[in-house]
Amino acid sequence: MAKARAIVKRLKAVKNIRKITRTMELIATARFKRAMDRASQAAAYTRKISEIVADLSRANLQISHPLLEDRPEPKASILLVLTSNRGLCGGYNGGVLRLVMARLRRTRETEESIDLEVSGKRGINFLKFQGRPAQRTYTHFEEKPSFAQVEELADRFIEAFCTRQIDRLEIAYTKFESASKQVAVLERLLPIGKLEAEKPKTGKGSQVAEDDRLVEYEFLPSAEEILQEIVPAAFKARLFKCFLDAAVSEQIFRRVAMKAATENADDMIGSLSQLYNRARQSQITSELSEIIGGAAALE
Amino acid sequence: MKANGAKDGKNIGRVTQIIGSTFDAEFPETSLPEIYHALTIDQQVKGQHVKVTGEVQQHLGGGRVRCVALGSTDGMVRGMGVLDTGASLTVPVGKGTLGRVFNLLGDPVDDRGPVVTEERWPIHRQPPKMEDLSAKTEVFETGIKVIDLLTPFVRGGKAGLFGGAGLGKTVILTELIARIASAHGGYSVFAGVGERTREGNDLWLEMQETKIGKTDRSVIEQTCMVFGQMNEPPGARLRVALSALTMAEWFRDATGSDTLLFIDNIFRFSQAGSEVSALLGRMPSAVGYQPTLGTELGELQERITSTTRGAITSVQAVYVPADDPTDPAPATAFSHLDAFIYLERKIAEKGIYPAIDPLASSSRVLDPQYVGARHYAVARQVQKTLQRYRELQDIIAILGVDELSEDDKLVVHRARRIERFLSQPFLVAEAFTGKAGKITPLEDTIRSFEELCAGKWDHLTESAFMYVGAIDEAEEQAKRMAAS
Repeated sequence: MAKARAIVKRLKAVKNIRKITRTMELIATARFKRAMDRASQAAAYTRKISEIVADLSRANLQISHPLLEDRPEPKASILLVLTSNRGLCGGYNGGVLRLVMARLRRTRETEESIDLEVSGKRGINFLKFQGRPAQRTYTHFEEKPSFAQVEELADRFIEAFCTRQIDRLEIAYTKFESASKQVAVLERLLPIGKLEAEKPKTGKGSQVAEDDRLVEYEFLPSAEEILQEIVPAAFKARLFKCFLDAAVSEQIFRRVAMKAATENADDMIGSLSQLYNRARQSQITSELSEIIGGAAALE
Repeated sequence: MKANGAKDGKNIGRVTQIIGSTFDAEFPETSLPEIYHALTIDQQVKGQHVKVTGEVQQHLGGGRVRCVALGSTDGMVRGMGVLDTGASLTVPVGKGTLGRVFNLLGDPVDDRGPVVTEERWPIHRQPPKMEDLSAKTEVFETGIKVIDLLTPFVRGGKAGLFGGAGLGKTVILTELIARIASAHGGYSVFAGVGERTREGNDLWLEMQETKIGKTDRSVIEQTCMVFGQMNEPPGARLRVALSALTMAEWFRDATGSDTLLFIDNIFRFSQAGSEVSALLGRMPSAVGYQPTLGTELGELQERITSTTRGAITSVQAVYVPADDPTDPAPATAFSHLDAFIYLERKIAEKGIYPAIDPLASSSRVLDPQYVGARHYAVARQVQKTLQRYRELQDIIAILGVDELSEDDKLVVHRARRIERFLSQPFLVAEAFTGKAGKITPLEDTIRSFEELCAGKWDHLTESAFMYVGAIDEAEEQAKRMAAS
């Protein structure tokens, strides 16, 4: 019976885990809906603003802005890492952190110094474990990052970049491409680089850009002033988009991981139940045969 | 032939009942054969020659005794004459037995003519007295990493190989013979109890080829083999281990040398006992085994000991029915052993051989007092890592490895490497695996696992650790794999 009882104990544990994973799956599904809506709303704004910036660049102006200034051979950089505060989301954090570790390894040969800024407890703990603790950590970005929170960060980055405290800002996060595809990526946010890169890749967007090619812009009050406004705004929008993407992806990863976990638990419950029934039955059989054997021997 | 009476001083009885492999015989009340005395039947019946030896197990009253037949009872009929030999079964002992193959009656079965020895000893003997027992404890190196590290053998002690069907008990046993017997100066005795006849034959042929150390004498010249295999009736399988043990005892007591005793498979001894138990009228006990299971095994095991005069180091294979170690037969055998090796099906399924379970296996001498603090610490560290990995396995199965904490991920990472590193190519399996057998000195084994636990080899791929000797070979294997 010792064996059967041990199986029952395991079975109970697995059933409890299944309850948790199933609930987590449902919660993640609900949160995913909301995060997805926010992300798609922000996507429209980001697209429009990049369109404007792209158009601007094509207006044949001598544009220059500190955030656009390319600095080859950067001395100091910031790497912003977006991870989750909570676990149980499959390879979500793993994917991002692998990129980060690869990036950190690359800098070993160069003289570049990288400051890590990490959002999410998972990433903070991982990097601490790897012996690369983050210079700044954030744990207040949950599934609904607000623009105000992100703007605060963005302002500090702009400030640091303009005062040449840093030469480069990179971000590692999980990009949301569609509900079925999310990839961990490492992108450079500052300097913004060529403005054409901002051109939206959707078919419709490029169509519009083609059509607008001949449009002559009139700048009021002046191109310079508009640039002062719009370049930081574009950067902020993009940064915000990263946070939103990360939030959506996290929920998708969690939903997928929890769905798989629930299925795995179901499989395990099935095989454990079978094992238990077999153990129980064989015990009954052996007890019966002992009684019958004993009775037969007495005859 | 005059039955029921003494003739020429011979005590002759008559068969009254035959049940399977047991039979009853009637003797005059005044001259009953004693318990364990051997009775022989040697007679022509309907043109068929019946020659059976029996051993008295019970006195039934009314001048009748119940016996276990040590051979086939085919052709026996009631009323046959039974001769009481007046003593228990004896087997030839001495140097004349070396290089020969016997059955349980002590008759040679290798077609090499009669065996010349000065003495015959009875197979039922008393275990050595307590004051004669040797108190020495010394580790016995085998060159197999997992055994040396986690379940070190004791010189003059007993080691058991437990495992279900087809996990490689016999392979490990033959490997140990190849490793120990070929490096060993003393004598070896092999007892084949209820296992495949083919395996016995293979072993015999192999022993003729294997040379002792660097001399050109083959291992068989220092070995004697006793077989009572699967085809024999239960009585034979019940006594063959005793016959072999008696021969080993002679080497221990008369020559005072270190003697090796290999038994494959001690479970068959218990099984044979259970087969005849009900026929002898005993009430079955737990799981249908004989009620005397513990006594029977105890009588055998207590004789396999080292005395102040000489040592018997014994390695025994123990079959575990239905992979259930709580079965009474293996559970009883367990308590007699110094080193306990448990073979696990899950490990064999991963393709890791020897499929020794590093957590279920243990040894009495895995103690800082005997193996030293360093060895002990490394062995415990290895077990700790593997234990943690096993605990995490359910979580990994459900949630995936990503959900583990960083510390646990590292544990899993190392445990998977350690698990694979516990495999080792065998000398006797060279023909099948195509890899040369590796003998790893104890020092290398300890160093390898120490470094592995310290994380020095975390960067190598898992498959680099499969089937290598010391850790340096894993590094070479990784390089070879990277190159190809």
